[in-house]
Amino acid sequence: MSLKVDQTATAFTFKGGMLPMTVMELNSPDPERVSAQLAGKLSQSPAFFQHTPVVLSVEKLDDTSLALERLCAVCRSHKLLPVAVRGGSEGIKQSAWALGLGWFPPQESREARTLASVTPPAPQAPVLAEAGSGGRIFRGTVRSGQQISAAEGDLVVVGAVNAGAEVLAAGSVHVYGPLRGRALAGIHGDRECGIFCHELHAELLSVAGNYKRLEDIDPSLLNTTVQVRLRDDQLSIEALV
Amino acid sequence: MARIIVVTSGKGGVGKTTSAAAIATGLALRGNKTVVIDFDVGLRNLDLIMGCERRVVYDLVNVIQGEAGLNQAMIRDKRSDNLYILPASQTRDKDALTLEGVEQVLEKLSEDFDYIVCDSPAGIERGAQLAMYFADEAIVVTNPEVSSVRDSDRILGLLASKTRRAEQNQDPVIERLLITRYDPNRVDSGDMLNLEDIQEILAIKLIGLIPESEAVLRASNSGVPVTHDQDSDAGQAYSDTVARLLGDEKPLRFHLLQKRSFLSRIFGGGRR
Repeated sequence: MSLKVDQTATAFTFKGGMLPMTVMELNSPDPERVSAQLAGKLSQSPAFFQHTPVVLSVEKLDDTSLALERLCAVCRSHKLLPVAVRGGSEGIKQSAWALGLGWFPPQESREARTLASVTPPAPQAPVLAEAGSGGRIFRGTVRSGQQISAAEGDLVVVGAVNAGAEVLAAGSVHVYGPLRGRALAGIHGDRECGIFCHELHAELLSVAGNYKRLEDIDPSLLNTTVQVRLRDDQLSIEALV
Repeated sequence: MARIIVVTSGKGGVGKTTSAAAIATGLALRGNKTVVIDFDVGLRNLDLIMGCERRVVYDLVNVIQGEAGLNQAMIRDKRSDNLYILPASQTRDKDALTLEGVEQVLEKLSEDFDYIVCDSPAGIERGAQLAMYFADEAIVVTNPEVSSVRDSDRILGLLASKTRRAEQNQDPVIERLLITRYDPNRVDSGDMLNLEDIQEILAIKLIGLIPESEAVLRASNSGVPVTHDQDSDAGQAYSDTVARLLGDEKPLRFHLLQKRSFLSRIFGGGRR
């Protein structure tokens, strides 16, 4: 393996990317109903419908009655660009491919990792419980080398996050204890979420990709109770009193 | 059925083997039939600490690979009839150990012994994971310094996920903290982490605290586990640790700064 690669010789390079993507979760297989609802939405927020790429999630549907091709046509006529399908049977997968769409496995069987990290998540101890809204509650100490994530919603840690540990969530990260490791909120790009902790001593704080290292944190805020959020593209750390 | 106790730490050189030898000795001295197994294949040390290096014929790898029987490989301790040592191989590497082989050895030993003490190698790789996999209890040996504490934290994560108890959703491995090489003077001067800070980070029950002591090196070099040296602070601290392991309540000792008298400061003299 050579380290010196002639850049001009390669036509392209593959890179891992993480892009925000709208998932259209279908509750009805009926293209007419989808079309009617889309028409309503279009009049409310026309800015959204600018050939926006969407992933059609068919997980909630009984797919024997699904007309994927017609659904795609309905989407396109409302300036939504279906790029992939999530979930469904082998038949759905085949027809997605036939329509030139990608296919993703259903949510539950997918690895809950969008932000690639150096260590694979350690198998979870039986202290985990599912929170109500697709989020996750972890009770206990998150130890060095462990990674705890919530692919949807918020992550609540009732305990300490030790140095060398990593906690991540699509939504906000709440730590009821000292935060000494890394915390990443909004890993799918949600800019409204934040990080909340009882005792700040984090190695890294990140909200929607904007991050601060321990070195960048105002020393007067260390070991205090804070919230971390985005303000004008800047990560702001504020005391919570 | 024997209790399987792994002595582990992540970091090397913190006193795993010394502690495994001292604790196994203490368990045997209190009448429990005990075997201590060296899992550090390729870096065999336990036999030296136990003073039986001249009596090693077969080892753990020989047993696992069917080249020797358990009774041929086990060495009976000179000082205690209740104590046996199963040495590691010095010439092989850790890949010579298999999960099935280790399981068979532990199952066989379980029939005859009250306690099986597994002396883990340093690191978090195969050797360390095999040593902890079948454990019922873990003694995590930690020095009062930040890197040791972080490595112990990592090992605690593995104990909660990479053990048979974790994988089969049984009751978790009982985790206990053993702090070694604790020097109250250096804690007082801020050179060392103090007891409370270590406990706060690792958040597990403290089973013992062994003071930094000249007796430990003396014991290692003479091949007599320090538990036999009941005049020394370290020997007494290990006895306390074993007592707590067996369920006795013992107040913590040796963690407070000893105010040295004027005379002892004049005439020097280290702690025994």
